[in-house]
Amino acid sequence: MLNVKDLIVFYENAIAVNDLSMEVREGQIVGVIGSNSAGKTTLMNTLSGLIWDMLIKEQRKGGERITVMGSVHFFEEDISKLPAFRRAQQGIVLCRERHPVFPDSSVTENLKIAGYLRKRAEVKQGIELSFDLFPNLARHRSRKAGFLSGGEQQMLAIGMAMMVGPKLLLLDEPLLGLSPAMQTQVVEAIKDVRRHTGVTLVIAEQFARPLLPWLDFAYVIENGMLTLTGPGPELMDNPEIKSAYFGV
Amino acid sequence: MAQRKERIDRGIKVRSDDVFALTSWREMAYLAFPRVVPVVLLFLLGAVASIYWERVLVTTCMFALLAISWDILASAGMVSLGQALFFGVGAYIAGTLNHYFGISPWLTIPIATLGGGVVCTLVLLPVLRLRGIYFAMVTMILPLMIERVIEATKIFGGTEGISGLNTLGNVHTEFLVAAVMVWVVLFSFRRMMSTDYGLLLKGINDNDRAVMSAGMNIYYYKAQALFLSSAVGAFAGAFMTHAYQFVGMPVFALDYSIIPIASVAVGGAGTLAGPMLGSFILVPLSELLRGLGGLRVVIYAVILVVCTVGLPEGIFHYLSRKYNQFERWVKVER
Repeated sequence: MLNVKDLIVFYENAIAVNDLSMEVREGQIVGVIGSNSAGKTTLMNTLSGLIWDMLIKEQRKGGERITVMGSVHFFEEDISKLPAFRRAQQGIVLCRERHPVFPDSSVTENLKIAGYLRKRAEVKQGIELSFDLFPNLARHRSRKAGFLSGGEQQMLAIGMAMMVGPKLLLLDEPLLGLSPAMQTQVVEAIKDVRRHTGVTLVIAEQFARPLLPWLDFAYVIENGMLTLTGPGPELMDNPEIKSAYFGV
Repeated sequence: MAQRKERIDRGIKVRSDDVFALTSWREMAYLAFPRVVPVVLLFLLGAVASIYWERVLVTTCMFALLAISWDILASAGMVSLGQALFFGVGAYIAGTLNHYFGISPWLTIPIATLGGGVVCTLVLLPVLRLRGIYFAMVTMILPLMIERVIEATKIFGGTEGISGLNTLGNVHTEFLVAAVMVWVVLFSFRRMMSTDYGLLLKGINDNDRAVMSAGMNIYYYKAQALFLSSAVGAFAGAFMTHAYQFVGMPVFALDYSIIPIASVAVGGAGTLAGPMLGSFILVPLSELLRGLGGLRVVIYAVILVVCTVGLPEGIFHYLSRKYNQFERWVKVER
């Protein structure tokens, strides 16, 4: 479904993603595991096309020069040069890190904004689906999103990404800043999302422990380079993963 | 083979960043060139210019000071739309002191500089807690309000203003004072912004909550920045009062608020030198276009738009990047 080949991203002279290739099959949950500054967010931005927007903005203000090389194919079609909104229309939707929501709008309004391009019936369905998946959101449906807790905002952000109707959902650090209990809840929610909608997921995350057992395939990256690959449960037993991500 | 463009500092820049610069004439020249040449150039221009253009240069210097004062405020996180407030207050203090008390311009200008700084700081003190657009709104409205107060109460000459004030002497003296003042203000404030105190002001702009958490009372420092900035603006006002030998309601006009901001947009914000460069482009340019009559404003506006769209970072940032860095194609190593 998604094929990434020889992807290289430079921020000025610093390399963020180094010769990375990966493949995502339909219906899978794929993880990109890496510590801080490994290049996870850059990878997600490149897959979703946001990098082109950053590139243009930096260029205009004479800031850092961003260089992107390599190819991204989605359903056999080359989308390497497509801007973010085109990719979202084709079904690649990114849920950015630090749960970005519209703080001054209510939960329902947030979902409606995200579903602006869908039909009215689809929006209604989508909102119901979000409330089914995340019962916490249903309880706060008319509350301002800015007043929700971090975990609830994360669930809302995932719900908003779902509203766009993705074929491939990219989650950037969905567990960031959440308590272990909240993390398990979000992981459960992510599994529910897959079960209900059959959407394909790519999750970038550094908290590997709650996530790894459920990953169909995981890519471990360090300093922008692939170091390990394999099905999630297999990697659980890998001594390197244990020492680097579980602190054993 | 895949290639990408690389941007790195010039070797001479890296070498002259260090104290070793003092061991080589080439490195010292590299450092001195962008600082000395503009200074020499300005004085040379003043020496060869006709009386008319010398006057234009004086006005340009004053707009440069206003633009610098805008940039100081902006560096401390206060976006102002009302440099005219500083300009006008300085102008009226100098004008009234000279007219009613007969004090010489050589005294009224320093008094107006300090007094204008104090008055503007006190006036804006209550709104120091406002941020962004709210602070800008207040600063924009205040000069317009004062203008109407003068019109309504007819104080300080009312609508007619005060004319027949003393001058500083001839236009050459005026130019010398203005040019020296511009360079003194520019270099001393640039120096200040690179000290710890300047870092603190920039920190307030970047993230005021972080500065608060570090135990600093940001309003105290914001008030100081406000004083410094408004004193510079008030100096410009006081100086222009004596150059025109007139003070009246036009000193609170929108021009004195807009042109400094336009200069910053053209020159590049946050450097102090950029705004100055910007006003040295815009003000003489607007004089040059004066022969075109009504089209003048149109052409002026087009140039402004082209500059801000084509080089949003500002001319100064662009030039300094070209001076300090170079680009080359390199092979991508995997």
